[in-house]
Amino acid sequence: MAETLQNLYLGFSVALAPDILLYAFAGCLIGTLVGVLPGVGPLAGISLLLPATFGLDATRAIVMLAGIYYGAMYGGSTTSILMRIPGEAASVMTCIDGYAMARKGRAGAALAIAAVGSYVAGTVSIVLLMFLAPPLAAFALRFGPPEYLALLLLGLLVLAYMSGGSMVKSLAMAALGLLLGMVGIDQMSGYFRFHYGLVELGDGLGVVPVAVGLFGVAEILTTAGQAKPPEVIRPRLRELLPSRREWRESAAPIGRGTFLGFLIGIIPGSAHIISSFVSYAVERRLSRRPEEFGKGAVAGVAGPESANNSATSGALVPMLALGVPSGPIPAILLAAMMVHGVSPGPLLIRQQPELFWGFIASMYVGNLVLLILNLPLVGLFVNVLRVPYPYLYPAILAFAILGVYAVNSSVIDVWIMLLMGALGYVLRKLDFETAPIVLGVVLAPMIEMSLRQSLALSDGHYGIFLERPIAVTLLAVGLVLVLFNLWSFVRRGLDWRARIALAEKGEQT
Amino acid sequence: MTIRVSALVLALVLMMPAFAAAQDAYPSRPISIVAPFPPGGVADLTARPIAAALEKVLKSPVAVVNKSGAAGAVGMSFVANAKPDGYTLLLSLSSISIIPEADKLFGRKPAYTVDQLVPLALLSADPTILVVRSELPWKTAKEFIEDAKKRPGQISYSSSGIYGTLHMAMELLSHAADIKLRHLPTAGAGPAINAILGGHVDVLASGPAAVIAHIESGKLRPLASWGDKRHPALPDVPTFRELGYPGAEFYIWAGLFAPRGTPAPVVAKLNEALRQAVNAPEFKGPMEKLKTPIAFKQGEEFQKFFDTDARRLAEGVKRVGRIEEKKK
Repeated sequence: MAETLQNLYLGFSVALAPDILLYAFAGCLIGTLVGVLPGVGPLAGISLLLPATFGLDATRAIVMLAGIYYGAMYGGSTTSILMRIPGEAASVMTCIDGYAMARKGRAGAALAIAAVGSYVAGTVSIVLLMFLAPPLAAFALRFGPPEYLALLLLGLLVLAYMSGGSMVKSLAMAALGLLLGMVGIDQMSGYFRFHYGLVELGDGLGVVPVAVGLFGVAEILTTAGQAKPPEVIRPRLRELLPSRREWRESAAPIGRGTFLGFLIGIIPGSAHIISSFVSYAVERRLSRRPEEFGKGAVAGVAGPESANNSATSGALVPMLALGVPSGPIPAILLAAMMVHGVSPGPLLIRQQPELFWGFIASMYVGNLVLLILNLPLVGLFVNVLRVPYPYLYPAILAFAILGVYAVNSSVIDVWIMLLMGALGYVLRKLDFETAPIVLGVVLAPMIEMSLRQSLALSDGHYGIFLERPIAVTLLAVGLVLVLFNLWSFVRRGLDWRARIALAEKGEQT
Repeated sequence: MTIRVSALVLALVLMMPAFAAAQDAYPSRPISIVAPFPPGGVADLTARPIAAALEKVLKSPVAVVNKSGAAGAVGMSFVANAKPDGYTLLLSLSSISIIPEADKLFGRKPAYTVDQLVPLALLSADPTILVVRSELPWKTAKEFIEDAKKRPGQISYSSSGIYGTLHMAMELLSHAADIKLRHLPTAGAGPAINAILGGHVDVLASGPAAVIAHIESGKLRPLASWGDKRHPALPDVPTFRELGYPGAEFYIWAGLFAPRGTPAPVVAKLNEALRQAVNAPEFKGPMEKLKTPIAFKQGEEFQKFFDTDARRLAEGVKRVGRIEEKKK
């Protein structure tokens, strides 16, 4: 403990040096911008800026790149809340309640809660990272394919909480999402599925174009199709801050989101997206008023936004402690270290204490910078809503196309986004919710891969899922959850979902 | 209508430099080097320094464009079908000859063929290293191979993906040593390393730079290398050639290609520029930091290396065959 504090002192002496501070600030600023731009997430942002850091030394480069990483997680919520366009994939859930809040004139509150939640999550998770990194990293690596599959199956259960109204419609949408997730090269046999002669479909339908299309583009089309334009919301200054009730209702979700996000984040893979889905489901399950979700429940913003921020620190645990590329973004950070001649590995903490502790300390500083940067920006961003729709929407569409194209300089991705926009429009007209499709597209390739990898490891024996303690535990939890739901369904007959459906019917007639 | 007009304007704007180029000496506008893999990977990390060095020599901007997807096929077919004017080059890895071979295997129209590209220069060639989890008993490659013979299909390895470079390295070894291993394909070189460090598989063929830190920390033990001579960073590790398996020779190499049909003067200019660029500090410095030995080959020499490598990999792909056709 004393040693850690001493190291932290060393870290802060590095992180608070004026030039390092400047790079951390630059990283956070770029990250926020990258996050705000629809479609462009932290991965694309870091990728685009990696070459620019080649001229810097290792500490500066890492501090700046990491700033972009968690800065993008802050910025990602902005467009989700204001325009229903996920700034990056992990902000998909924020679109639902964040945008609903904005429609009710609470955009400022939603943005402020998202920023504060991100700050709390960011800071608490660095404390966890600092004290628990080595033991947790070893645990994270024990997550092989069978454990990952068990976790993903738990993720599928989340579906039950993703939407109100008809369960059948939600399941149909999830099935559609899972099917869309099947496009691309089969990782286990090299077989090319549903490609229609386009090599670009080799890696499947990207989550980003699908999400931006289904949410953002569909929203624009729906609004454009209305007989009279929606009223322009003019946010007043005193409405920018969350009310006392909103603070009270977000405190617990922020706390839960932080821990959940951190735990899911340390698992190798693209787990940070799942963390926001799971957090949303947990909040809805625990909420006393689940029927408010989807209609502007503040917990539906606070939970997922905290979770995705906390997951970013979680993802750095195996990278820093073991030098393991635990996901696409840590892999790029590792490459950045290698470019500077630092060999990342279990010995990094000892060999490069200035780099390691400077990095940790810079994350504390960076999160504070982001909070200071983002809270005043709330007032500025909210003004976007004052722009009349005939000007606002074409501009958003242009930004969405630009952002989706920039990720992989792929025109095919732009087409996917536009087609998904059209699909989303039709589905919304027919009263289908589109969030389960995104969940399906995210989960399908991961579920398939981990199932078949598990079977490759066991030579085809399904017993592998019962032989491994973590996998068994997760599967058991899933089973208990299913039984629990069935029980309450049998006992009460009508649960909240049915009540919402009834209420909606009442509204229509 | 407006869309069509603006598309026309855009097309004209895009073609303008092309008209200019026809008149001026090469290069008269920025050159782009396409890296068919995401940033941070070997292709990207080789492309950036060589682009910087070329920029100095040619006194003209050289940019790296990452066009990843379908295990490199997207970027490779993009360059193969690009205008052969010397302004679009490809920085490819060994997998360039695997992809068309796998396409053939599945009877689909190949995204590109190797003939569509002209090799310009080999920049680096790093042999793969066989590493095992250090808690496993094998101290030498010989012990490992003997054990693998006793238990066919029991010892497992991870790879960067089916028909990927790391899979091919292991396939060449399995064939040369007549052993059968259990294969766990993953989604890239990173996840393949995670799988062995997490104890989910036993052995791995990997590029040296990615595993040296884990060898030093004692997590992984190196047994042998696929190179024709010992790796400078691991002088105590023998090669498979020394151990009597000359068939197990494999490199993760990176080289520059141009679309076929690029005018001879342009190719000559690029070749000359590359000769200078590989000795420039802009290229040498980063490669040294990445612990990647420079292996510069041009013209006939590179063509020969490339042909041998392509033939070896083609045979490997054919031997692996189509996975779903295999019977137990």
